[in-house]
Amino acid sequence: MRIVILSSSLYSETACAMAVRMAQLGHVPAGVLALRTLDRATLLRKLGQWGLSGVANYTRAKLIPHHSGSQLQIRNSYLQPFLKNGSGAFRSMHEVAVFYAFPVSTCHNQNSAAAIARLKTWSPDVIIFAGGNILRQPLLDVPRLGVLNVHLALLPRIRGMSSPEWSLLKNVPVGITIHYMDAGLDTGPILGRYDLPENTQCASLSDLRDRLIAFGVEKIAEVITGLDQGTISAKPQSDLHRDNQFFVMHEWLQDRAEERLAKTRAANQVGALHG
Amino acid sequence: MIDSLGKVEGTNATIGQIAKALNEAAGLLRGPQRVVPLIQKLVSDKIRVTFEQKHLYSYTTTKRSSTETLNLLLRWIRDAQRPDGGIAAYYSLLSGYSESYPEVTGYIIPTLYDFARMTGERSAVTSAEAATRWLLSLQMPTGAFPGGLHGSAQQASVFNTGQILQGLVRAHAETNRPEILKAALAAGEWLVHMQQPDGSWSGPGAYQDASHTYYSMVAWALAELSEQAADHQFGIAAERHLDWVLSHFRASGWVDGINLRGHPNYLHFIAYVLQGVLECGILRKRTDAIEAVAKPAWILLRKFETHKFLSGAFEADFRSSGYFTCLTGNAQMSCVWLRLFEMTDDLRYLNAALKMNEMLKQMIPLRGRAGIAGGVSGSSPVWGRYQPLRYISWGAKFFADALLLEERLKASFEARMLTTLPCAS
Repeated sequence: MRIVILSSSLYSETACAMAVRMAQLGHVPAGVLALRTLDRATLLRKLGQWGLSGVANYTRAKLIPHHSGSQLQIRNSYLQPFLKNGSGAFRSMHEVAVFYAFPVSTCHNQNSAAAIARLKTWSPDVIIFAGGNILRQPLLDVPRLGVLNVHLALLPRIRGMSSPEWSLLKNVPVGITIHYMDAGLDTGPILGRYDLPENTQCASLSDLRDRLIAFGVEKIAEVITGLDQGTISAKPQSDLHRDNQFFVMHEWLQDRAEERLAKTRAANQVGALHG
Repeated sequence: MIDSLGKVEGTNATIGQIAKALNEAAGLLRGPQRVVPLIQKLVSDKIRVTFEQKHLYSYTTTKRSSTETLNLLLRWIRDAQRPDGGIAAYYSLLSGYSESYPEVTGYIIPTLYDFARMTGERSAVTSAEAATRWLLSLQMPTGAFPGGLHGSAQQASVFNTGQILQGLVRAHAETNRPEILKAALAAGEWLVHMQQPDGSWSGPGAYQDASHTYYSMVAWALAELSEQAADHQFGIAAERHLDWVLSHFRASGWVDGINLRGHPNYLHFIAYVLQGVLECGILRKRTDAIEAVAKPAWILLRKFETHKFLSGAFEADFRSSGYFTCLTGNAQMSCVWLRLFEMTDDLRYLNAALKMNEMLKQMIPLRGRAGIAGGVSGSSPVWGRYQPLRYISWGAKFFADALLLEERLKASFEARMLTTLPCAS
């Protein structure tokens, strides 16, 4: 199985963890295509978005890896099993690529002709989307089987942005869906849907997201194995006629989702005490 | 609001508009103290437009509280109120305050009472009472109210009478004074008398003598009067107009029949159609009306969420046709989304309204002379096509409505969350 990974940056922990997990399974990536994060266009866009201090923090975070004392710190602690490298940890895709010997390229836009040409040279069976641009059809047509995405909610109920938060507020079980990407937003055929088992133990929304991401890395490895062995197949989504798209959640609603998470945790603890 | 000069057609209209623009520009000669604020606003909007960046995963936020913004808006409205109770239509960066505008003075009354209820601010009640007294003095013997700015040609106007009726109905609900009910009933009877057999209003009393779907706002006022006065004839008239407007909804969600010659379909008027149909539908328990509004409201929500911006004007089937945004229309859409959230429990409407209100808060000047501080400009940037270089009273009214509604619905949502069981794992 020839796998290519798309990443939002060379420093994406999720993309690095996916690359490591694939390599551990024996599917060393045929290549990784990452967005350049410190180019002029990105910095100008973020200047408008966040202001000067936000851009300064962003640049510092990109240039100086997180350290805690002498130990390199992994932001998402649930990815630690994948990112550990001896006494330290992989801190960029370049380090993972050197370790497992696969090529890494960068681009301004994953949909650009140059990016697509590069992807084609790697002849992927599957592309795993671990962040970047909204993908256009020419890119979606490159891999033999399709482009895989880990969506942080159970499709088809919750599509779009802030999906774990919306799952909480809509009282929908929290989980992930692995699906092929198509021209729509989270509308492609589904390969697997998985409830997050330790949902009720999450300390915060950020903790929930971190758990879901790590859960996604583990499950996408299972899906790749299933595709390789021909034991799983994709099923079209059932209610494509319904507009289940959600958008970035406003802070005030995020706070309510956080409250609901705390309530769920407390209810579960009471249940365990009486259980 | 449509400027009364817009009623002149063809070449006369162009000449009229040029004359009006020159007259407004000449305001700078009469009031040179306005030059500095004008330049400041033009420069700040130019800078903002130049550096404004939109991103799929972001929305604009501000630390300004709704209460602080509401206080600013209400101060703007009170500054625009004359001693006789009438409220100016706008503050022009060129010519200062306009004459009082009966239409807006009328439908700003519910906003003033809502503000007083939320904050306990007695001055808002005083303002509402002064506005009501002034309006009662303007009513024509037929029961109609005049269109245009105070002091212009006294011509009975269906739309303005409907908008003023909203204020009278609320003023009566708050005060129970019989003379207000009498005036409201007279206005309502005139509107019923002027209604066409097909349920529309056209001919004398209608803007440009033509029928318009945004007169759904008149239907809303009649539905309110029907409830307040317990008189079915007004409810029946309201539903007759509602049916007429609903027949103009396309399958795509677009609503035909805004029908303003010489003007684009500003978001303000599209939102009027939706607000009128929605509120009338809620009062008359017409689920077909609520469902009809949900479609265009959702299309506009998707546009706003995707582009972080709503165009100030649209062509048929919601093709954007403006480089500017109409802040009043944005505030009205926030009201529509909030009411749809209340009706459907779909949190995406609340989410969009919260973001829209955040965006609007940042457009309100914190400082400046009376007329500027706390004002809502017609367009953003301020030189956009809708009410250029003006802070408009109905913009302040609709944004205050949106914030008041937001506060009420947030409180009820939080209360409901306390009683809702969390999702089992």
